[in-house]
Amino acid sequence: MDDMEKVSLALNFGLPLLILIGTYLIGSYIEKKHFRKIKKREKALHGFPVTTFAAMPSKWQVAGVELVSGNVVVSLDYFKRVIAGLRSIIGGRVKTYEPLLDRARREAMLRMAESAKKRGYDAVMNVRLETSRLANTSGKRESVAGVEMLAFGTAVKLEKN
Amino acid sequence: MNFEPRAPREGINVSKEHPLVEAGTLIVGLGFLFAIIVVALIFMVEIALYFVPEEKEAALFESWLPEDILTVSPDDARLDKLESVLWRLSRHYPESPYKFRIEIDDSEEMNAMALPGGLIVVTAGLLEKLETENELAFILGHEMGHFSNRDHMRALGRGVVISIMFAAISGSGAGTELGVSITDLALRGFSRGQEASADEFGLGIVLQEYGHVADSWRFFERIDAEDGDIAGLLTYLSTHPSPDDRVDALINKAGANGWSISGELTPIDW
Repeated sequence: MDDMEKVSLALNFGLPLLILIGTYLIGSYIEKKHFRKIKKREKALHGFPVTTFAAMPSKWQVAGVELVSGNVVVSLDYFKRVIAGLRSIIGGRVKTYEPLLDRARREAMLRMAESAKKRGYDAVMNVRLETSRLANTSGKRESVAGVEMLAFGTAVKLEKN
Repeated sequence: MNFEPRAPREGINVSKEHPLVEAGTLIVGLGFLFAIIVVALIFMVEIALYFVPEEKEAALFESWLPEDILTVSPDDARLDKLESVLWRLSRHYPESPYKFRIEIDDSEEMNAMALPGGLIVVTAGLLEKLETENELAFILGHEMGHFSNRDHMRALGRGVVISIMFAAISGSGAGTELGVSITDLALRGFSRGQEASADEFGLGIVLQEYGHVADSWRFFERIDAEDGDIAGLLTYLSTHPSPDDRVDALINKAGANGWSISGELTPIDW
């Protein structure tokens, strides 16, 4: 094997492998950091009711309501995309996507709840979650650019008496 | 009913399995699976070859030309020269079922290909680097060797195998580059032996035409010594053995048969 072949081998195998390892390291670092932040913020919001009830208990005296929403767009890293692609050949749980969507859900809920709390509301009711796929139109094949997670609900302010 | 604040529970929506464990299982498992499929497909190509006799193949691909090559004008002087050399060489391979055809691919790359139906394609980039007719004769003889061994049909079959694998891997959008490189490398190892045997065949043709095999491998020595054109060399290497090994093998072959490695060289004029 001569030098040229080594170069070509390195280009063919090394480069994608390097990107795979690099994106895994960066991706998992960002993910861990995000989860830490999410947990911290969830702790800070502890005790602030966020519910899915559509109807309110009759004895509540409402002083004001407002629609609040939290929105987040997340994208995949190359590592997750490759592993999920391999997974799609044989099927099964796409485990690499699970933390990603969990992050998106919790982040969207947090943004919604935080904005309600900041504006002086006491609770968020009738919370709903929506997702939509953002397609990447550049390139030949249609690929997923990211997933949008939208959390919205009715913020209520209670009469203090 | 009272409101009891609770923190979200962990571990329900996210699997505990480490992503690297999943990655490892998938890569090793699927790699193994693909290897088995490729081996099975190659075996089927070999079987299919029995059902396509050379005469049938020659008739089937009589006027076929691949779409991705850029041919030069039919009046090109180089084409005349190539045709005359090819005709002279083909007299030493009388049992050939093919009516050999030759085309020039107007590309910078250095390569020569044997394609179904007796079609030989040489690139303009390769012709530029040739200094004597003897060098050209060896390259044409080498391609004839591929026809003699039916390597071109195997290559076609392998091409189909690669594209099937490519479709399977890229259809899932996963690590396309890596998957194709692995498949390509695995199949390239298979073709090394074919290249060596085509080299031997080519050397025999050159000997019969010129009475000696001088200069046959000078072309490879030259591209080995040159390190300017790395991109061109890489393309060439992707389908051929490295020049070093090749020259050694050719010298050994000539020595073992006692073939003269010096003689009068025919200049090339175009």
